[in-house]
Amino acid sequence: MSRALGISLPAPLRHFFSLFPLYTHPAIESPDKARPLTSPTLWIHVPWSPDADVLSSDVECLKWQAYLALRGLSDIAVRWDIAVDGALDARLPNLHVPLKTLPAASEEVKAQDDGEGELLPAHLIPEWVDGQVGAMDELEGYVDQATRDESRAWVALLEGNVHAALVLSQPSSSSFLSLISPYQHKTRPLETVLPHPPAPLFGISSLLPPYGTHIDVEAIEQQYRDAIASLSERLGTDKWFLGSSSPTALDALVFAYLHCILHSKDHTLRFEVTRRVNLVAWERRVQSQVRSGFRLVPVLRSS
Amino acid sequence: MSDLEPQAPPLQPPLHNTSSPRDREPDPTDIEKYRKWWEERKLRKLRGQYESALVQLSELVNGNLSTPLNIASVRVRGATRTRESFLGSIIDPVLQRSHDEVPTLGTVLHKTKEIKSLLEETDLFSQVEAVIDRSRDPLAHPDDVDVVFLTREKGRYFLNTSTQVGNNEGGASATCRVRNAFGGAETFEANVAFATKTRMSYNASLSAPLTSNLKTRGEFSVFGMERDNSSFASSSEGVRGLRALVRTGSLPHGSHEVGYEAVLRHIGNLTPSASISMREAAGQSVKSSVYHSWTRDTRDDRILGTRGSYAKFFQEFAGLGGDTSFYKTEAQGQIARSLFSGVTLSFAARTGVLWHLGGRSCFSDRFQLGGPVSVRMFRMNGMGPHDGVDSLGGNLFWSTGLSLISDIPRKPHWPVKTHLFVNAGRLDALDKSRPLLDNVLGSISKPSISAGVGLVYKLDPVRVEVNFGVPLVASKSDGTRKGFQVGIGLDFL
Repeated sequence: MSRALGISLPAPLRHFFSLFPLYTHPAIESPDKARPLTSPTLWIHVPWSPDADVLSSDVECLKWQAYLALRGLSDIAVRWDIAVDGALDARLPNLHVPLKTLPAASEEVKAQDDGEGELLPAHLIPEWVDGQVGAMDELEGYVDQATRDESRAWVALLEGNVHAALVLSQPSSSSFLSLISPYQHKTRPLETVLPHPPAPLFGISSLLPPYGTHIDVEAIEQQYRDAIASLSERLGTDKWFLGSSSPTALDALVFAYLHCILHSKDHTLRFEVTRRVNLVAWERRVQSQVRSGFRLVPVLRSS
Repeated sequence: MSDLEPQAPPLQPPLHNTSSPRDREPDPTDIEKYRKWWEERKLRKLRGQYESALVQLSELVNGNLSTPLNIASVRVRGATRTRESFLGSIIDPVLQRSHDEVPTLGTVLHKTKEIKSLLEETDLFSQVEAVIDRSRDPLAHPDDVDVVFLTREKGRYFLNTSTQVGNNEGGASATCRVRNAFGGAETFEANVAFATKTRMSYNASLSAPLTSNLKTRGEFSVFGMERDNSSFASSSEGVRGLRALVRTGSLPHGSHEVGYEAVLRHIGNLTPSASISMREAAGQSVKSSVYHSWTRDTRDDRILGTRGSYAKFFQEFAGLGGDTSFYKTEAQGQIARSLFSGVTLSFAARTGVLWHLGGRSCFSDRFQLGGPVSVRMFRMNGMGPHDGVDSLGGNLFWSTGLSLISDIPRKPHWPVKTHLFVNAGRLDALDKSRPLLDNVLGSISKPSISAGVGLVYKLDPVRVEVNFGVPLVASKSDGTRKGFQVGIGLDFL
């Protein structure tokens, strides 16, 4: 407090305080303290079958899992015992990395690694991966400039139309506990995902205040069907999307959506993908590659 | 001749005032003095009459105590909002008692007194007066009497809003109370408060007497709270719960409380710099527990007692459903003795063990220690195991405090006292691979100790302290505080 006020303690008092405590016991250890970090660990939402799988059921987490695995990283630990409240900005996934793997860490920092590590939010993961396996060239792994630009359009399509259909098929679980919960987690509302934001239920001229939105489910489903059809067509029999020779960020994104759709409970949603053999075969191939990049964190296995 | 004539003695009226000196009567010309004398005299006379009437009455009553007399009916007048069945439930047991003896005036008086004190204990009436009257019943026996209670009910609704500032915390609260909500001495109370540290809290409870002697009450309450723990655990904690309890006994003779509690705890709103341990602890957990507590308080003053003692035992078992399973027990005691005039010695001790059954214990269940109302000259909840800046809490703690409180010289009437204190304590993580006794001995052998001087101010209903002190012995992980420390609270070590 004295520092905040811009005054310092008088020297005699400072000297007096420096004498205390007269004796110091060693620090008190606790089993409740987090175990020291040994290898990079990705914090994700729980998988569909936690006993047998390491792939998250959440499309956002799965995107980053696929991204890490397809960039060639392996032996990344995953854990899903941490609640979403524990994540940075209450948003999973987070990548927990040892200090020594940080590209910007100085020798000093690396030397005094205490196992605490550094927690990275999702948007800082590419930078960390670049530090591990080397940065990509300007084309980001795509064949040429045109396909790189094209990839942006596919990303928009997936994160717009396909995402909207996926969100629509997963009704938000409003359990009793989440209803009375003191801290609510706001999921991204559907309106922000749709390419054309839907109109409110009541017009501007209405006496009622604007409330709710009128979502055109038919249109979303139609757009979804079109998107999957064109996705299947564009892939054809290629190994990777857009004819790339190695996996790109777009492949990670496509895999995440296809995997989630194939695990969806909505038949119509799933059917659009299952009837296209090339998409199913591609998803299965990439799935085994992504899965092989991860292992369960020992903490979870023991508990 | 005229000398020989007999002379009649001077005539005196028969009621002539012969008192001398006449009750120290002042000069009637000084009207003020005279009026005062007159009033005092009148009062004295009245008191004399009253006392003699009382003596006569008590003689009359005592002489007739064994006269057969029977209560035919009891009427409570003025209790318009109180249910008849409730009044019956508290009055009937008194009337039905001791059937075998012959009812006399003595028993009637005794029962009337008993019913009156019960009616007063319900806290429903601002005034209770008893009248014994001849029975109105035409078929009544000449020995039958009616006991009539003339009452006036207290106000039913109470609403209060207030603001408080103190201990780096400011807030506002509103309380609403409904007395005698359903006509059976039920109390409904709702309270909501907003503050800076405990961001929000609310509590709604309904309590009702369970037995006819009104000594046992049942209570059902719904509560919620949001607390900012960012100063020691980089997070906030939200609580939502419900509780059902039965309370019996009185504080001076020991009061028991048995209850069930179901609580949802949510640790969230983590600060960006929160430790990994706190991140692992984040999220929701549900506790479902039964508990029992026993409290006895014989101190003459809760804040600055000079004699008497305080003891509290608490035990809780969680694991009837819910996410967490543990047995927790806590004990707390304080004793104060006046050494000589103006100097009091106070000794306080607290201890607690949390034995969790399976899995890991929840952050919300673990103990925290340290701070101005706990072990002084340590940071608020700053003792025990840490991860970085975050206090993780522990499963075993003990703390003691010895305070010498004395009056300010030449100002014994001031509510401010000086005080000299020594505190010791430790918060540990229980090592379940070793016996409990080893853990306890290990904890006691490594105490953190602090000492200092300060001023204590009794600001009813709280106690405010300003202390200057230093930690003498500390653990490396303890957060210490050297110099001044301000504390506001009810229970101090």
